[in-house]
Amino acid sequence: MKKVLLTAGALMLWTGTVCAADMVRIPAEDYRAIMKSLDALQKRVVELETNQGTVAPVQAPAARPAPRPAAPMSGSDSAKLDRMADDINNIYDTLDQVETKTLKDRINLGAEYRLRYDSYKYKDLRVTDYSTMPPTPTVHTTENDDSNFTNRFRINMNANISKSLKFHARLAAYHAWGDHDENTVANFYNDGNAVHALGDNGLKIDRFYVDWIPQGFPVPLAITVGRHPSSEGPPTEYKENRKRQSTYPALIFDGEADGIVATLGLERYIGLQNAGLRLAYGKVYRSDTNDTDVSWLDNDNTQDSDIAAAFFESKIPFVPNSLMVFSYAHVFDMPANMIDGEMTDGVILGDLDLFGVHFQASDIAKSGLDLYVSGSINETDPNDDSATNLAFGTSMLALNGAPVANADDVESKTGWSVVAGFRYTMPIKALNNPKLGFEYNHGSKYHFTMTSGANELYNKLATRGDAYELYYIQPVSRHLFFRAGYTHVDYDFTGSGQPAWEPIRLDRLDLDTTMDNIYFLMDVRF
Amino acid sequence: MAEDGATMFKQKCGTCHVKGGQAAPVNPADKAAIVWNKFFQRGRHKVDFSQTIGMDDLQVIVQYLKDHAADSDQPAVAVIPR
Repeated sequence: MKKVLLTAGALMLWTGTVCAADMVRIPAEDYRAIMKSLDALQKRVVELETNQGTVAPVQAPAARPAPRPAAPMSGSDSAKLDRMADDINNIYDTLDQVETKTLKDRINLGAEYRLRYDSYKYKDLRVTDYSTMPPTPTVHTTENDDSNFTNRFRINMNANISKSLKFHARLAAYHAWGDHDENTVANFYNDGNAVHALGDNGLKIDRFYVDWIPQGFPVPLAITVGRHPSSEGPPTEYKENRKRQSTYPALIFDGEADGIVATLGLERYIGLQNAGLRLAYGKVYRSDTNDTDVSWLDNDNTQDSDIAAAFFESKIPFVPNSLMVFSYAHVFDMPANMIDGEMTDGVILGDLDLFGVHFQASDIAKSGLDLYVSGSINETDPNDDSATNLAFGTSMLALNGAPVANADDVESKTGWSVVAGFRYTMPIKALNNPKLGFEYNHGSKYHFTMTSGANELYNKLATRGDAYELYYIQPVSRHLFFRAGYTHVDYDFTGSGQPAWEPIRLDRLDLDTTMDNIYFLMDVRF
Repeated sequence: MAEDGATMFKQKCGTCHVKGGQAAPVNPADKAAIVWNKFFQRGRHKVDFSQTIGMDDLQVIVQYLKDHAADSDQPAVAVIPR
């Protein structure tokens, strides 16, 4: 023990001597200058790490300030100072390189994973086989699955290419556990080798689009081109517990869409905060000759279907954290192919007008309460020009499967729907402020909007009837969430989510169709 | 403005920053715009050029460097050949 203490004492003495020998005496003013430089360096590192720091514009760039009058110091002290100054300059140079590289590395990557478990039960489910003419409905008295697991994986990308160009993309895979597809090399238990055996090289792209913001345009303008952020729109973000994901209210359009959108910023002209007008053009359906060796040729039998839309949105006057959107969309030449390509090839259902209003407000009066309400009206303009179409009875919302005798039987139909809900953030810090939400939607007999990209297995917003959902969100961290919910759907008419065929009251068919679903999901986002 | 900046950059900076010259060749795309900003704001140029480049000219040069910096729409990589 004594030996150890002696050794330690000797070491301390030696290191003390070494430190004393290396000690430099410099004037206080120089010391402060060095500390100031180090402080500035530290701040730059922080800025670099957050990658969002900005500095004031160059005020008066100048060369290095003239050296101060030399303070009395030894030659070795002066050499030390010079070395430190060189070191600082070298660090600055390195930081310059790193910062420049960081700013040139334009693509930011993020990912998200969702595990979802559903346990559903349908009662009196009417399933229609569209491969027959007329389509054949069959009734499943009960249909249930208490172990439906799905995986969803997404890679999110974005880049501020330049001041006027921004890029966004999302690649996605959505898969039911153990689901076997037919078109792989190994058809036997092929989910186990879906990406380990030879298959196609398809990569599913949820969205990719470029925002071009022309500089110097008299009105603030953004042109968005590509596969649009047109799914999971307001108010879906409340239930999804994330930022707004789409420019369009979900009740009007919730799906993937290719198109061009011009957004005009109107705030400065009309005084409404965040006011903007979006003019959109997209293609709902492209007809081509899939059955030939020149598969991209336009199919003369079926027209393309296009969509033109206008959306006006702004903050609700005098309501903080709010949004209102007024929507109009016109779908041209909606093809029956959207239901079944083989049977209805060449059939144009007609045109469709969609009108929508949406209001939402978050954290009302700082109470933690979010409220929203949406409404839609859809009006059909059936195609009555083609005798063939009439004979097949496939004009939009025409009689159910029966041949239509004359054009008068195919008349315009109007449907409507409403969505309302709330989410409450509970002030329980110990539980990371969990959230409780409730949604209700009702659709009329002829209700139909473009909601095929719904997040759930079922298309709840398309319901012709009533749907209720109660959910609870448990945040664990900013990267991990759990959600549990219960959904009940009470269908009043046939054909929810289908644009064609005459809806029939289910009670007239002696059916009381309902769906009950309990779900649980885990979200990881980073 | 861009032409003025390019010309002034080549005339003023290119005197020293030239292959085989007093300092290594330098170009706008050597740094990102914000880095150029900080560079001059902190007076990091190693040589005092206040006698050869006036404040107004320097502002024009710095703006040119930023407009054609590494992260700009039109980075200039070889205005002064290496």
